Amino acid sequence: MAGAMESEEQARIRFQLELEFVQCLANPNYLNFLAQRGYLQEKPFVNYLKYLLYWKDPEYAKYLKYPQSLHMLELLQYEHFRKELVNAQCAKFIDEQQLLHWQHYSRKRMRMQQALAEQQQSNAAPK
Amino acid sequence: MAVSERSTKEGLLSVLDDVEVLSRELIEMLAISRNQKLPQPGEESQILELLVQRDGEFQELMKVAQEQGKVHQEMQLLEKEVEKRDSDIQQLQKQLKEAEHILATAVYQAKEKLKSIEKARKGSISSEEIIKYAHRISASNAVCAPLTWVPGDPRRPYPTDLEMRGGLLGQMSNLPTSGVNGHLPGDALAAGRLPDVLTPQYLWQSSDMSMNMLPPNHSNHFMLEPPGHNKENEDDVEAMSTDSSSSSSDSD
Repeated sequence: MAGAMESEEQARIRFQLELEFVQCLANPNYLNFLAQRGYLQEKPFVNYLKYLLYWKDPEYAKYLKYPQSLHMLELLQYEHFRKELVNAQCAKFIDEQQLLHWQHYSRKRMRMQQALAEQQQSNAAPK
Repeated sequence: MAVSERSTKEGLLSVLDDVEVLSRELIEMLAISRNQKLPQPGEESQILELLVQRDGEFQELMKVAQEQGKVHQEMQLLEKEVEKRDSDIQQLQKQLKEAEHILATAVYQAKEKLKSIEKARKGSISSEEIIKYAHRISASNAVCAPLTWVPGDPRRPYPTDLEMRGGLLGQMSNLPTSGVNGHLPGDALAAGRLPDVLTPQYLWQSSDMSMNMLPPNHSNHFMLEPPGHNKENEDDVEAMSTDSSSSSSDSD
């Protein structure tokens, strides 16, 4: 059941829009915003979210700058998650966890650098 | 006497009976004729004739019985043959069934293998592409925080408010009241108020890369149920099905 034929230009624009929208889903504050305005409960919106799952395909996923958005998209398929997002605490918790995860590698790298520096110091010291 | 309709055995036995009776009469007659003169001289010859006749019948019936015996033996032999062939057929049947079973298993496993090969082939991505992608997403600090990040830095692992409004999506939708600081997104860009650190070096809209990318077609009516079942409410779906089953049992 395809809708009305859209021109290629329109399709390209739609691609851009959907690309942007799917990545916006990585923003927990935006999700909270959507939940509080009741969008997450509307059936067409839920169907749209299911349609957006095509971004999981590698040929589409390579355009995603923020890959976390795919995880959020998957979680959004569950009604329980959509309901929970109405709470601001939930959004805040997700935000914190995202930030901590985001900093995980830089922290790890810093630790490794520190360990390396200490090792070099201990190697250089006894002379 | 309708001898042809009786069985050979009955025929033989009746002939034997007759012979017995006739011989008994003959012997009685001979015994009587010992004591007195023959009252009926023709009788003994009659009896003798009958005796001879009965004997002839007996011989014939014996021949028939012999032939029947031969036929019966042949029948038995043939029956044994038939049994042997039967068991052969049954064994072949068993073997055929086993072979069919083994082939079915082999075919099934081959199909599974083909399926997994297909799956692997579908999911294969050139390592170069993966490395390129990894480069892209880490260079832009999308998955890994910048090394100089401190709390208070506005950068985030997701598109921020400003970035969202600055994109195509933000410009297409009218946001009369919810602009940042009351300004419309176009203004913010035009006024150059976006700090340098926020202008993404790599556009997350990637309009330069995706010139030829088209999204999948969809019906414009997201009101309709999508095909397949939704992940949401798997519990609810089960609850609904039990409801319907209870209602159907009521209607029964």
